[in-house]
Amino acid sequence: MTQKNIAAPLPRRRRPRHGEASEGRLAFWLLLPAALLLCGVLLFPMLTTFRDSFYFNKLTEPFNGQPFVGVKNYVQMFGDPRFGTALRNTLFFAVLTVGGSFLVGIPMALAAHTPSRVRGLARVALLLPWAMPPVMTGLIFAWLFNAQYGVFNDILVRLGVIQEPLRWLSTPGLAVLAMVVTIVWKTSSFVALIVLGGLQGIPRDLTEAAEVDGATRAQSFFRIILPLLAPSLAVAFIFRSISAVQVFDIPYTFIQQAPAQGLLETLGVYIYRTSIEFLDFGYAATLSVALFAVSLAVTAVYVRFVRDGAST
Amino acid sequence: MSGETAAPERLGLLDRVGRTLGLGALIVGGFFPLVWMLLTSLKTEAELQKFPVQYLPGALDAANYVRVFSEQPFARFFFNSMTVSLLSTLLCIAVAVPAAYALARLQVWGRGALLTAVVAFSMFPVVSLLVPLFRLFRSVDLLNSYPALILPYAALSLPVAILTLVAFFSAIPRDLEAAAMIDGTSRLGALWRVVLPLSAPGMVTAALLVFVNSWNEFLLALSFNTKLDMRTVSVGVTLYQGEFAFPWPLIAAAVVIATIPLVALIAVFQRRFVAGLTAGGVKA
Repeated sequence: MTQKNIAAPLPRRRRPRHGEASEGRLAFWLLLPAALLLCGVLLFPMLTTFRDSFYFNKLTEPFNGQPFVGVKNYVQMFGDPRFGTALRNTLFFAVLTVGGSFLVGIPMALAAHTPSRVRGLARVALLLPWAMPPVMTGLIFAWLFNAQYGVFNDILVRLGVIQEPLRWLSTPGLAVLAMVVTIVWKTSSFVALIVLGGLQGIPRDLTEAAEVDGATRAQSFFRIILPLLAPSLAVAFIFRSISAVQVFDIPYTFIQQAPAQGLLETLGVYIYRTSIEFLDFGYAATLSVALFAVSLAVTAVYVRFVRDGAST
Repeated sequence: MSGETAAPERLGLLDRVGRTLGLGALIVGGFFPLVWMLLTSLKTEAELQKFPVQYLPGALDAANYVRVFSEQPFARFFFNSMTVSLLSTLLCIAVAVPAAYALARLQVWGRGALLTAVVAFSMFPVVSLLVPLFRLFRSVDLLNSYPALILPYAALSLPVAILTLVAFFSAIPRDLEAAAMIDGTSRLGALWRVVLPLSAPGMVTAALLVFVNSWNEFLLALSFNTKLDMRTVSVGVTLYQGEFAFPWPLIAAAVVIATIPLVALIAVFQRRFVAGLTAGGVKA
C-alpha cells in the first residue's frame, strides 16, 4: 500500500496508482467537517473582526452610520491611556502568573509523581484547579479574600502575621496580589499536568544511576531531570503564556467586587466592556486585533517549536 | 543499595518527610477552596458573620441548597449546561476523529501546514469572536438557542481534540490496520474496528477536555444566551449576587452544585485522563 511510500509526494504528471487518488479524496472528505467548523465559527468571525477594526461602528451613535475610517481606530488606540493601562496590566499579570504557575506547578508534579498510597487523591487534587470553572474560581477566591469574613484574613490573624484583617480587594497592591494568587492556583495544575507527562517519560534508571554515582537529590534534579523536561516545559510555557494574555473570567469576577478596578482591568476585560457596555464595535475590533497580535507574538515561538517537532 | 551507612538512611527519612509535606500541600491546596465553599454553603448568614471565623457549620442544614433552586431556575441552568456540554463534546469528537485520522494516517498534501493551522486556531482570543459571532448568530436567529453555544464550543475545543487524537492515532502500529485491511475491511472499517478501540484512552481524554471547556465557558454563554431560561450554570452562579449584596452561603451552594459533574468526572477518570493527557499533550 501507499503507506510504505516514504519518498516525497509523487509528481503530479505521473498517473496516480489506484490507492493514492482515492486516499487523497478520502482525506479531503475526512478533513472537510473540521475545516468547515473551524473556518465558519472561528476564522470567518476573526476576519470580520479584522475588517471591523477599520470601520466606525458604535451602536450608541446610529446617526453616524458605519463609515470606513481607515486606521483611525488604531490611532485612537495608541493615544488611549486606558488601552495602555490594560496592556500593561495584561503583560504584568502574564509574567507574574506564568512564572508563579511554574514555581508551584513543578513541585506539584514532583509530589504527584512519587509513588504513594494517596496517589489517586493527589491526582484529583492536581486536576481540580484545572477543571474548576474560572468564573467560579474567581468567586471562590473573592470569598476567601473577603475583608470581613474571609478565611485567609482569619488564618493570617491567628498566625500573628497581621494584626488587623486586610482589605484585600479594595487595596490596590493587595488586589493585584490576590488576583495573582487566584490565577496561579487555577493554572498551576495545567503546568503540573504537562510536567507530570514529561516526568513519566523519564526512565527511572537514569536518576538511579546518578544516585549510585553519588549525585545528591538536587544534583540529579537540576542536572538530569530538568534538562529532560525541557520540551514539556516549553509546551507548558507557551500554552500558559497564550492563555495568560487572554485572561478574562477571573479579572471579570474580581472587578465586580473590587473598587481597585483600573489595576485589574486586562485587555480581555477592556475589549468586553468596549463591545458590550459601550457598544463600540469598531473600536472593540481594533482592540481585539491588538490582543490577537500579542497572542500571535507568543504563538510564533510555538509554531516554530511545532515545526521542529513535526519534522522528526 | 539501602542501609550500608547512616547517610542514605537519613536521606531516606528526609525524603519521606519531603514527600509527605509535598503530597500534603498538594492535597490541601487542591481541595481547600472547594471544601471551604462546601462548609460555607452549609452555614447560615448569622454563622457567617461571626468574628473570628467559625470554621464548621453549626447544624447540617440544606436550606441554602433549597434556595439555590427556588431563587433561580438552577435546575434549568444545569440541564442547559448538560445539554450544551454533551452535544458540543459529541459534535467536536465526531468531527475531530476523521480529521485526526486523516492527519495521522493518510498522505495529506500539506500535512505540516495543516497541523500548524490547527494549532493557530487555538490561539484565537475568544473575546475577539464575541461581536462577530453575536452578529452572525443574530442574523440567522440562533441567539438564545443551544446551537449558539454548541457550535463555538465544539470549534474552540476542536484544535486540542485533533492534536490529542493525532498523537494517539500515530502511536498505534500501522501493521494492525494493514492486517485488518488484508482481511478485507476498508480503510474506514479499519479506523472503526481497530484504531478507535485501541485509542480509547485518547478518546476519553479528548472528550473530557471538550466537556470541561464547554461546562466552564462563561463569556459566550453570558453574551449569547441572555434569556433566563437559556442560561448555563457558569453564568447562573453569578446571578445570586445583588448590586451590593453577596449572599455567600447561597453562592457557595450554587458553586458546589455546579462543580459536582466536574468533580465526579475527575474522580472517575483521573487515572486514564492523566495518562491520556501526558501521552498526547507533550507530543502534540
